[in-house]
Amino acid sequence: MEILDEIKKDYVTDLMKKNKRPDDREFLEYRPCTVEKGIFPFAEGSARVRLGKTQVVAGVKIDLGTPFKDRPDEGVLSTTAELLPLASPTFEPGPPDEDAIELARIVDRGIRSSNAIDLTSLFVEQGKVLMVFVDMYILDHDGNLIDASALAAMAALLNTRLPKIEGGQLIRTESTEKLKVSQKVVACTFSKIDSHIVLDPGLDEVKATSARLTIATTPDYVCAIQKGGRGAFTREELFNLVDVSFEKGNELRKLLD
Amino acid sequence: MEKPKLIIDGKRCDGRAMDELRPLKIQAGFLNKADGSAYVEWGNNKILAAVYGPRECIPRHDASPYRAVIHCRYLMASFSTLDEHGRSGPNRRSIEISKVLKEIFENVVITEKFPKTAIDIFIEVLQADGGTRCAGVIAAAVALADAGIPMRDLPCAVASGKIGNEVAVDFGKLEDNYGDGDMPIAIAPRNGEILLLQLDGMFTKDELRKAVELAYGVLPKINALQVEALRTHYAVKKDELDFRGD
Amino acid sequence: MTKIVVPGELLASTPQRVEFAFVEDGKTYSSVVGLFDEANLRLVPLEGTYMPTQYDIIVGVVDEVKFAGYNVDISSPYKGFISARDSRFEYELGDILSAKVREVDEVKNVNLEGTRKLDGGEIVEISPAKVPRVIGKKNSMLDMIRAATRTEILVGKNGRIWIKGGNTALAARTILKIEKEAHTTGLTERISTLLKEEISK
Repeated sequence: MEILDEIKKDYVTDLMKKNKRPDDREFLEYRPCTVEKGIFPFAEGSARVRLGKTQVVAGVKIDLGTPFKDRPDEGVLSTTAELLPLASPTFEPGPPDEDAIELARIVDRGIRSSNAIDLTSLFVEQGKVLMVFVDMYILDHDGNLIDASALAAMAALLNTRLPKIEGGQLIRTESTEKLKVSQKVVACTFSKIDSHIVLDPGLDEVKATSARLTIATTPDYVCAIQKGGRGAFTREELFNLVDVSFEKGNELRKLLD
Repeated sequence: MEKPKLIIDGKRCDGRAMDELRPLKIQAGFLNKADGSAYVEWGNNKILAAVYGPRECIPRHDASPYRAVIHCRYLMASFSTLDEHGRSGPNRRSIEISKVLKEIFENVVITEKFPKTAIDIFIEVLQADGGTRCAGVIAAAVALADAGIPMRDLPCAVASGKIGNEVAVDFGKLEDNYGDGDMPIAIAPRNGEILLLQLDGMFTKDELRKAVELAYGVLPKINALQVEALRTHYAVKKDELDFRGD
Repeated sequence: MTKIVVPGELLASTPQRVEFAFVEDGKTYSSVVGLFDEANLRLVPLEGTYMPTQYDIIVGVVDEVKFAGYNVDISSPYKGFISARDSRFEYELGDILSAKVREVDEVKNVNLEGTRKLDGGEIVEISPAKVPRVIGKKNSMLDMIRAATRTEILVGKNGRIWIKGGNTALAARTILKIEKEAHTTGLTERISTLLKEEISK
C-alpha cells in the first residue's frame, strides 16, 4: 500500500510543478460543497456535508448532567469524530486513533475558543447543566475531513433545539427553544505539496502532502490553528494563509445560512 | 471563579516583561539506560525525555521500507499538577500532543538512513507549569542528539499567547488557565521554518502576527541553551579533545 | 583543531563530503553530536547505534536457527544472516560467534561470512562509537590489555567484545573504563598505570 502511495505522490507532485491539480481546480478553490441541516430528526441537531466526494454527518445530542467541578455554572461541550471503517479501506474498527482525536480536537478548539456556544446559558440549576455532544461521523473519506467535519458540526449546532425540561427530566419530543450559537466558525485546510500550497486537498493530494495547515476563523478572528504533517511552513506562508482563510471562510459561512 | 489579574503595572503576574522567558535549564544525558535522554526545568516545569533507537520496529507492520518510523509518547504524571490525582495513561489531549510532537521530529531526523526501524521518543511531564509540550520538544531534541541520531537541526519551541489585548511569550500555568489564547510554535532554528503550530483563543490578524514575531524573538535563546547543554555534557577541556586513535 | 559540534551546526560554507554531515544550499552541516576536525574535515560521532558496513568484523549471537541459515543478533537495528550453505560450521541457538560483514543490501539485509564460533569466555558491551579507543593507535591499547591480563580478546565493531582466559574480570573492567573516559587525553598512560597496579596486587 505504501508503495502505491509513493507512486501517487510522485504523480501529484509532478502535476503541481505544471501548476495543475488532479481534478483541475485552482490552487485556492474548494470542491463543490453542500450543507443539509436537520437530516436526523431524532437527534437534537444534525447535518450532512458533502465536499466533493468527502461526506460527513454530524449529530448533536443534548443531555442533562453534572458540571465540571471547576466550572460549576457552565454546561459541557464534547466533540468527537468517528473515522468509520465504511468510509475508507484504510480506516479500521476500534477506539479513535490519533487522527480521529486530532480531527475532533481541532473542530472543538474552534467552537470553544470563539465561544460560539455560550456554556453559561446551559446552566439549569445547582449541580445540573445541559451537556452538548457533537459527534462527527465520516462516511466517505476523499480528503480534507477537517473542513467538512467543522462545517457539519457547525451546521448541526445551528440546527439544534433544546428539549423541554420538566421535573428534572428532558422531554425530547418537545423543544422550548433553539441552542444559541453566536458565531459561525469555519475551518480552512491547506496542503503543502513540494513548494506549492493548495486549499481543500483531495485524497490524492493528501497522500502527497508534506505539511498541512488548518486555520479556523470567525469573520474577525482566528480562533484555532493546527499544523500537521512532517513538512514545514514559513512565517510568510502562514501570514498569507491567514488572509486566505478569512476570505474563503466567508464563502463557507454562506453555506451555513 | 474570580479571574486573577495577569498584568499589573505593565508587568506579568510573575514580574516578567512581555518578551521575557522563565528560567530554563537543560541537562543532556540524564538517564542511564536510554540511548539518549534530557531533563528540562522551565519555570516549575520538570520534564524528562528519553530516546531509544533506531531499533527493530514493533509492531512490525508499522515499519516502513523507506525510513525509520518515529513513535512519540507524551504523558503527564498523575502527580504533575496542583489539581487532583490525575489518571495515568494517555488521554485525548496527550494523544494529540504526541502526534504533533512526532511530526516535528519526522521533519528533522534523517530517517532515510534507517529503513525498517523505529525511533521511540518518550516524554514524561513530572511537574506541569504551562508550556509542557514546548518543554517536551526542547527535551526530546536534546535527547535525540544525545542518542547519536542524525538530524538536520535541533528543533526548539515556545508558546506565546494573549492576555487581554497584549501579547506575551512563554505562558506560565496561571496565564495558560486565565489568559485569552495560547499559540505553541516549534521551529527548525537553522531556516526558521515552522514545524509545529497550534492556536486557541481569539486572535486578530495583527495579534497573531505579533505573537509569531514574539516567539521568533526568543527561540534563538532557547536553541542556544540546547546547544550549550549538549556541549556541556560532552565537554572536556579543549586541549583534552582527542580523536580516538586509529 | 577539533571541536564539539551538534546537529545542524555549520561545518563548512562550501559543499564538502564529510561522513555524518549533510549538504544543504551549498553548505555543509553536522547531523550528529561529534568531534569535528576542521583541518582534515573529519567528523567522529560521540554516540550512535551500530550500522553494519561491508568488511566490518563483529561479534554476534545466534538468535534463530532456520533451514536456510542463521539469524544473528549484531546489536544493531538490523539482523545479520549466515547462509547455511556458505557456513563451515553448524550453530545452535545462543552461540556466540565472530563474523565479517560480507554485504549490506539496499533494504539492509546484512549477510555475514568468515565466521568463527567463540566458545566460553565473557562478553562486554560498549558503545560502538568508543570501539576505536579500545583498540588504540595501531592496536596499542588492545595489545596492552591482552599482555597485562593474559587474555584472548576479540573486539567487534558493533561494540561487543569477547574476552577469554587469563584475568578476564580485569580486562572487562579496563575496557569499561576506557569507554567511560574515551574522549580524554592521556588515557593510554592512565590505563597502563592502572593495569600495573592491579596486577601487582
